Amino acid sequence: MYINACSTISHQNSFQNENWINELTLLDENNELITPNYKEFIAPTALRRMSKIIRMGLTCAKDCVKQSGIENPDAIIVGTALGCLADTEKFLNNALTLKGLIPPTAFIQSTHNTIAGQISLELKNHNYNVTHTQNSLSFEHALIDAILCLNEDDSNILVGAVDEEIPLLGELTGQFGLDSIKNKLTSSASFFMLSNNKTETSKAKLVDSYTVGLNTSDSKKIINEFLERNNTSLADVDLVLSNSYGTVSDSEIKNLFDSIEVIPVEQHTGYHLTTAAFGMHLATEMINQKSGNQILIYNTLNNSNIGLTLLQSLEA
Amino acid sequence: MEDLKEKLKEQIIDRLNLEDVNVTDFSDDMPLFGGGLGLDSIDALELIVLLENDYGIELANPEEGKEIFDTINSLADYIQKNRK
Amino acid sequence: MSIYITSVGVISAIGLNVEENYRSLKNKKTGIAPIKFLDLNKNILAGEVKLSNEDLIERLNVSSPISRTSLLGLAAAKEAWKGHQHNDAIRTGLISATSVGGMDNTEKYYKQRLETESPDISLVTTHDSGNTTERIAKALGISGYINTLSTACSSGANAIMLGARLMQQNKLDRVLVGGSDSFTHFTEEGFRSLMIYSDEWVKPFDENRDGLNLGEGGGFLVLENDKSLAITNNKPLATLAGWANTADAYHQTASSPDGKGATLAISNALKKGSINPSKVSYVNAHGTGTPNNDLSESVALINVFKDNVPPFSSTKAYTGHTLAASGAIEAVYSILALQHNVIFPNLNFSTPITDTKLVPVVNLNKEQEVNIVLSNSFGFGGNNSTVIFKKA
Repeated sequence: MYINACSTISHQNSFQNENWINELTLLDENNELITPNYKEFIAPTALRRMSKIIRMGLTCAKDCVKQSGIENPDAIIVGTALGCLADTEKFLNNALTLKGLIPPTAFIQSTHNTIAGQISLELKNHNYNVTHTQNSLSFEHALIDAILCLNEDDSNILVGAVDEEIPLLGELTGQFGLDSIKNKLTSSASFFMLSNNKTETSKAKLVDSYTVGLNTSDSKKIINEFLERNNTSLADVDLVLSNSYGTVSDSEIKNLFDSIEVIPVEQHTGYHLTTAAFGMHLATEMINQKSGNQILIYNTLNNSNIGLTLLQSLEA
Repeated sequence: MEDLKEKLKEQIIDRLNLEDVNVTDFSDDMPLFGGGLGLDSIDALELIVLLENDYGIELANPEEGKEIFDTINSLADYIQKNRK
Repeated sequence: MSIYITSVGVISAIGLNVEENYRSLKNKKTGIAPIKFLDLNKNILAGEVKLSNEDLIERLNVSSPISRTSLLGLAAAKEAWKGHQHNDAIRTGLISATSVGGMDNTEKYYKQRLETESPDISLVTTHDSGNTTERIAKALGISGYINTLSTACSSGANAIMLGARLMQQNKLDRVLVGGSDSFTHFTEEGFRSLMIYSDEWVKPFDENRDGLNLGEGGGFLVLENDKSLAITNNKPLATLAGWANTADAYHQTASSPDGKGATLAISNALKKGSINPSKVSYVNAHGTGTPNNDLSESVALINVFKDNVPPFSSTKAYTGHTLAASGAIEAVYSILALQHNVIFPNLNFSTPITDTKLVPVVNLNKEQEVNIVLSNSFGFGGNNSTVIFKKA
């Protein structure tokens, strides 16, 4: 399976910037989401209703279509942990405070499948369309579904993940005493065009993605067996991109990966539950720039769940 | 009546988030839906909310909106006749 | 490779288990009534499950805070999962579907937040859809592949087909699939704002239908492959014979007048199962009772089946529209139809839709063999899905 297009909107200068991985910064609390001029991508009649999450997702999706030249993908699959929070809060607030009729737009835009639905509308696409929403594993589950599609009759799959930060989320995080996260909540979208066909835009190979929910008692075994099923081993992994944000200690990481270099993705993305998608874009560009042949994306943002995604160079 | 029309234009721009539209951009007899201002059925529901909450006029059936929301003229006319 | 359904569970406005639901369906007994459990301070009709949260927590022996969506899901999942246990040789997964997840608790929190100084923030810990599913998984002791789908009103059907696809590609041997949603202030106001919430009893496929009544509930099915059956010795109730998921790509909330997405979903599912349309014994329609859905779905039925539209009915007038759960609950009803050779009547119907003239089944049909049942679920965002069940 080939990764033939990638597009990310994040707190890095990642959108439509070939060189972004060489410009990566370590985020601090002052870094803001770096957004393109959405009017260049979305018609004003549609754009006026869209919250941040829908704008980000739709724009990255359309960018992938443009990069790959695949205008009618065989499936559109989106992962989102918390979905359209801004519209959900807006409608909830209106429902509880307004008397009489309530404006419907925020309700329409509040459902988790709004992003995938808007992509299908925009592309006039009638194919398989689904939204996965399994907190920290939402992206991996979308990816696994995309892999199923590619093993069925499909050739090109548009898959991605997106989550948005809203002020209420920060407020609640603070009240839960999660101060280390509170000021680091961010938003991002990363979308990909996956294909069975190698093309001139292919950057890397997606080998596999795998999840284990509610059981990480033996992470080492889970990782080793995953690599084994894919005919490889940790000895051949050049780099690990981790999404753990303090759920796994440094010594545990050392114990798992030994001398393999581990880059915490969160230092570049901040905190939200689908940063593994950003990690996959980062890994794809690193492989494309020959910084590694085999990269493992490790996700334990929720410490009772584990997500693993393996990428290889085109030559591997 | 002219005041009402101006106010309606401002309210429509505000409620429907028509960021790039100015009051001067739409004439009183320009179709609001389809080819004119380009509004759609979701906007029609928003206009029903506007009618009820700002002018006290209840539309039980969204179908009734079709004629009423044709142009600023028709909308102002309807409000004039039915407002409470 | 066959996908066997070996057990089912359901909770809805017409019953707390499969047996009670079947009895209500047979006896034309609706569960839609003036609301009693959700405190909305107004008089509206909805299909509430006739148990309070406290009663559900006690019956299911789980700890609070837990969302009503999880409770309803767990009630149905527990019934379906009865007798199943962990076995290292059977790779097992859980896929649930929900549209609003723990919104029932979130809206309680938000109301407190607006009205009091110290709202109970523990209520928002159940907000995310993934948590809804994990609570069900934990209570049943399932770990591994645990996933949640959210495609509005077609979610439940999508959970069933994803489970089947994972089994077909040898990723899992046994999957508990289904969905749940609870009746909330949020969704009630939402459908009301779209002007499709009826204050009368919902009338699916009737010319004078004027909208839906919401409902709530959960439905779950256990899917097993041959390998799993050899170990569990379970007897299949039915097989999953076909499925399809398509996008209408017409409008954010409305269905297309030509029924494009729905037509594709039905015809692709038939194709997937290599099923001749004339062999379909019964269609459990989506039939929400909104002017738009029922017309679009009728057009799609005619597009696919031409002059030979099979006996069809909507069961929404029993349960109300249970959103993400509806595809799963109606899958259970489809299997009941196969098991008992019955076709459930469509309540509150009197006049056919002028443009399509389709007449649903209005009396309990017991005279025919029911061999193949097709169930539709269509949702917001143009998400359309069809699943087909066959006698085992």
